[in-house]
Amino acid sequence: MYDKEKGLFEAFVAGKMSRRELLRATGKLGLSASAAGMLISSAQTKAMAADFDWMKYKGTKLKLLLNKHPYADAMIANIETFKSMTGIDVAWDIFPEDVYFDKVTAALSSGSGEYDAFMTGAYMTWTYGPAGWIDDLNEYIKDPAKTNPTYNWEDVLPGLRASTSWNGVPGGELGSADAKQWCTPWGYELNNISYNKVMFDKVGVQPPKNIDEMVATAAKLTKDLGGPYGIGVRGSRSWASIHPGFLSGYANFGEKDFSVTDGKLKAAMNSAGSKDFHKKWVQMIQESGPKDWANYTWYQVGTDLGAGASAMIFDADILGYFMNGGDNKEKGNLGYAPFAANPAAAAPTPNVWIWSLAMASAGKQKDATWYFLQWATSVEHDLFGARKMDFVNPVRASVWKDEEFRARIDKSYTGYLHQHDVSAPGAKIYFTAQPLFFDLTTLWSENLQKMVAKEIPVDEGLDKMAAEMDQKLVEAGLG
Amino acid sequence: MDHTSPLEKLIRAALLAIVIIFFMFPIAWIVLMSFQTNESILRIPPSLIFTPTIENYVALITGEMRTAAGSLKLDFMRNLWNSVLLSSASVAVSLLLGVPAAYAFARFKFRLGEDIAFTLLSFRFAPPLLVLLPLSLYFKTLGLTNTYIGLIWVYQLICLPLILWIVRGYFEDLSPDIEHAHRIAGYNWFQTFWKIAIPLALPGIAAAGLLAFIFAWNNFVFALVLASADKQPVTVGALAFVTASGIQYGQIAAAIIFSIIPTFVLAMFAQRYLVEGLSLGAVKG
Repeated sequence: MYDKEKGLFEAFVAGKMSRRELLRATGKLGLSASAAGMLISSAQTKAMAADFDWMKYKGTKLKLLLNKHPYADAMIANIETFKSMTGIDVAWDIFPEDVYFDKVTAALSSGSGEYDAFMTGAYMTWTYGPAGWIDDLNEYIKDPAKTNPTYNWEDVLPGLRASTSWNGVPGGELGSADAKQWCTPWGYELNNISYNKVMFDKVGVQPPKNIDEMVATAAKLTKDLGGPYGIGVRGSRSWASIHPGFLSGYANFGEKDFSVTDGKLKAAMNSAGSKDFHKKWVQMIQESGPKDWANYTWYQVGTDLGAGASAMIFDADILGYFMNGGDNKEKGNLGYAPFAANPAAAAPTPNVWIWSLAMASAGKQKDATWYFLQWATSVEHDLFGARKMDFVNPVRASVWKDEEFRARIDKSYTGYLHQHDVSAPGAKIYFTAQPLFFDLTTLWSENLQKMVAKEIPVDEGLDKMAAEMDQKLVEAGLG
Repeated sequence: MDHTSPLEKLIRAALLAIVIIFFMFPIAWIVLMSFQTNESILRIPPSLIFTPTIENYVALITGEMRTAAGSLKLDFMRNLWNSVLLSSASVAVSLLLGVPAAYAFARFKFRLGEDIAFTLLSFRFAPPLLVLLPLSLYFKTLGLTNTYIGLIWVYQLICLPLILWIVRGYFEDLSPDIEHAHRIAGYNWFQTFWKIAIPLALPGIAAAGLLAFIFAWNNFVFALVLASADKQPVTVGALAFVTASGIQYGQIAAAIIFSIIPTFVLAMFAQRYLVEGLSLGAVKG
């Protein structure tokens, strides 16, 4: 009887059986829910343990620095699996997102070995990597003695693998042959449209297919709905206002932030194509954006969509995902659509934010830390989070093919799978990696604010901004 | 005899009401928010009529927060306790060290006296982060990282200069003649300090203590850099309600109410000392 039960759970973990089928089968065998949970964990362990000594660092104790996020929750919910498989004890410190990166920077810059691994975004590694605060994970991924043979690194979406690796040369292509893997992708978000189906039906419009349609649809929604505004996008003076919808649309026209010639960087935001895109974006916010757009961050954009104050957003897909649940007023009313700003483009080109895991160089138990990193980014854990928790978006191609996960998402999130499937091949970081990333992108958002406030015309504003950026690049020895 | 005309009374009352409404409105709004669900807070347009709920307070006390992404663990009560412990202990240590030092600086002239007093004041000049990063290295060597003792020590950077300089001004304002008389009666300097100077300076000491407590309570960055999540004060803990899956406005409001209670009670209690203490120390005769 026991072998029969174990067989069921192994089939489930391997993705050959859905949760519903598993529950039906275990019910027939008279298994309780807690016993079923234990067997799933044991099956996960067994699936990973093939030909690899997971117990090598038994007795080690690791400490993690985490951000308060659903991804961290999913990991904590499954941590017993890792502990029992490896005999490694794991402790963690969780900080709110608002102060999280201050804590990370303080911990890393002081050379403290307190934390072995931590959550980070790819953009942050452009500072941490060259500063020598984090390790190149290629040394572990490519070492068969250190990495489980079933780890399957190639299964991680290629755009994400590339976006988290950089050779440290300003302007160097992400994912180049000489790039260092500064972190492993863990969960990610790409930028598309999340919209209120009820409002769209009321006005009789469809999700827009390109930037001109977006400007027109947003204006019609604002006019006809008589209350909610047409489109929510971020606008605060921060790099974080550029990276979601704005850069995704911008990149779709083939526009770049910087050009690189002979290793020298030059601002490219004042090209004719860039000016044209900026004009449409500015017009859209002026006509159909929130009143105090210049203060809008992730939180305001999401809250307005969830509360029915806006009809659509062009922002992270998972922001729309979260707003479709919980105690949001518009829960269950949201839909999702892919968006390619350029009518001539074959597919969307969403810029991405990737929550990743990195290893602190000051850590004293790196091999054991790598055991944790490879477990946390494994197919098995990714599958667990995607099926049972809000570990969206998963970073592994195989998890996106999992029937159980797809059925769960498709049931409550109209169009979510489609927008992801269409966009994932083009999803990557479209910024140029360089040390002044945060300063110059913040300057970009500051100029966008001036353009929306009509303090400066778009053409003139972009020319001046490009000149100012070039000056800063020269001063930093990059231009 | 009251010479105020009824019209003047009316105007005064109206003006007072306007001022009170203006200043109290944000607080009153936060109190109302703390009894509403997120959905009710985000209603468009906002409304004063709602079904009150205590679930925000329950979530804070029980440590379970429900969000769009499921249930999250909260440690808000622990954060509150950390703030109470760190602020009270820091002010107590500062009073213990600062009041005698203030007396010494006020009454005795000694070599480098002014320089030492100014050095202590200069602790308030430096941007905290500039001091904290090197300090964290020393803390690591001394084994003080992530300890309450270490944090209370660092909090002296906030409390000690404040108490020392306010109380010093107050001691300087008191006439030394009373103390001299007491000394002539056969008491030593410590007895004079304890029996005469401290009771006379008590309003100033209370005011300085209260101000130092408020400054310590509002501090954010010291514990963030030098300690783990379990030793964070309420200023860091309150940010936990701002999550990727949404902002829990009701719980933020309830957390604000909880976190202003200690300072509010202290301020009410010490109000008469506060005004008297600060104004008396300010003017030298």
